[in-house]
Amino acid sequence: MHFGTSAIIAVLGITSLSAAQEPVKPPLTHRIITATRQVSLFNGLEKELLQNVQSKNQKAIESALTDDCQIYQPDADPLGGPDWIDSVMAKDFSLKSFMIRQVSVVDLGDSAVVNYTRVQEATYKSKPANGEFFVVDLWKKAGGLWKLASRYVSRISSTATMPKGPIPPTGKQ
Amino acid sequence: MAAPLGKLKFGLAFVLVFLVANGLFAQKLREHNAGPGEKMVPAGDGHAVPAQAGPIGQAVVTGNGINYNGGPVLKGNPVPIYIIWYGNWNGTGSNTQATVNLIDTFLGANALGGSGYERINTTYGDTTGNVSGNLQLSKQVFDTGSQGTRLRNSRISAAISAQLTSGALPTDPNGVYLFLTSSNVSESGFCTQFCGFHTSQTLNGADIKWAFIGNVDRCPSGCEIQTTGPNSPAAGVGGADGMVNVITHESEEAITDPDLNAWFDSAGNEDADKCNFKFGPTQTAANGARFNQTFAGHNWMMQMEWENSRGGGCDQTLGGPFFTN
Repeated sequence: MHFGTSAIIAVLGITSLSAAQEPVKPPLTHRIITATRQVSLFNGLEKELLQNVQSKNQKAIESALTDDCQIYQPDADPLGGPDWIDSVMAKDFSLKSFMIRQVSVVDLGDSAVVNYTRVQEATYKSKPANGEFFVVDLWKKAGGLWKLASRYVSRISSTATMPKGPIPPTGKQ
Repeated sequence: MAAPLGKLKFGLAFVLVFLVANGLFAQKLREHNAGPGEKMVPAGDGHAVPAQAGPIGQAVVTGNGINYNGGPVLKGNPVPIYIIWYGNWNGTGSNTQATVNLIDTFLGANALGGSGYERINTTYGDTTGNVSGNLQLSKQVFDTGSQGTRLRNSRISAAISAQLTSGALPTDPNGVYLFLTSSNVSESGFCTQFCGFHTSQTLNGADIKWAFIGNVDRCPSGCEIQTTGPNSPAAGVGGADGMVNVITHESEEAITDPDLNAWFDSAGNEDADKCNFKFGPTQTAANGARFNQTFAGHNWMMQMEWENSRGGGCDQTLGGPFFTN
């Protein structure tokens, strides 16, 4: 067997294993939901944070993060809050558009686990940085304000594009 | 002397005409005073007039912040409502017959159906007519737990289907089936993503519109407006009032977007989504709970609905002022 063939088989094997992390993947249900109050709240906070990234509003971003906020991504060291802010404030990063959906919130009183899917169109060093991501955020309440304490990001796809026309209700909203 | 008298008559006539015109103009101004949140539109003569609520008789009107996407609406007068009470409704807290009675009243004759609130839905239609603004409970059944206490969509479908195939409930593609669960029943996503949802699917050979609404006492912080509602049997038992609010939301949407292809905006939000957990001005009941509607001998706390006229907005009654929260 050629080295190339072996490599492809190995890559496919790893890919299929990673795609089958859970034994059952239920279908996305065709339904329209009434969002909970927390979903409405955190949907707003997540959008606000992304809008501040878009507009490079460093002060607003800083005020939305706890002092010890950490960002976790696959195959990368955890990124501290200030380093993450530096990366999104960099001139060579531009978040052009985004959409978040399938927001879910586990309410734990003074903290909340929020997960959602984010689609974004962005550029980094003049190259496309588009993608669809699954995000899990831990928010903590401090002084009556919710602040992002940690974020876990995994990439679903690199080719996600924003919808151009009206979004039909799919149950994802 | 004739000439001066003629001038006097002319002058008096001029003053009279001026006063009449002035009075009419003042009346006009009074009519134009807008209430709080009331939408004004140009009258074409330089003045603004309150926009008329409607459009009854015009099936599809757009440009009010929500779009028509070609599908049908439910036009029954009234739209029949069927309830499947699932789980233990002979329990404690809000899992009781009192909740059953309250919701039966809410959806019964001379209650939600035909109210000024429900008539907001008459601003929606399809190519053959408008929503009637009337709905009424037609029949209800009890299922103490045929599918267990950990539900998912397929199990709810199975439970509804069983009622249709047995004939306990009619198979009615023009009705809305409400699947109401007691607080010991879980449904994937209930309380973390949603307080309820609506959908449509083929059951017993017909396109059945159904909605899930769980007892929100399972997650008061996520789905209840207040822990003690205007109809609470005791302090802190707000499940029935919370369910009333979600029933309102789902029934409105199931009527204006029954097959998920009729009325929603560019972000996919249906009429009730656009006013989710927005109530407008409220009053305080004797037990301290807030309410914003009164009919059928009860006070109710219900979210506003999106009116598809006068530019669009959330209001408590057809033609009423719009409010943002």
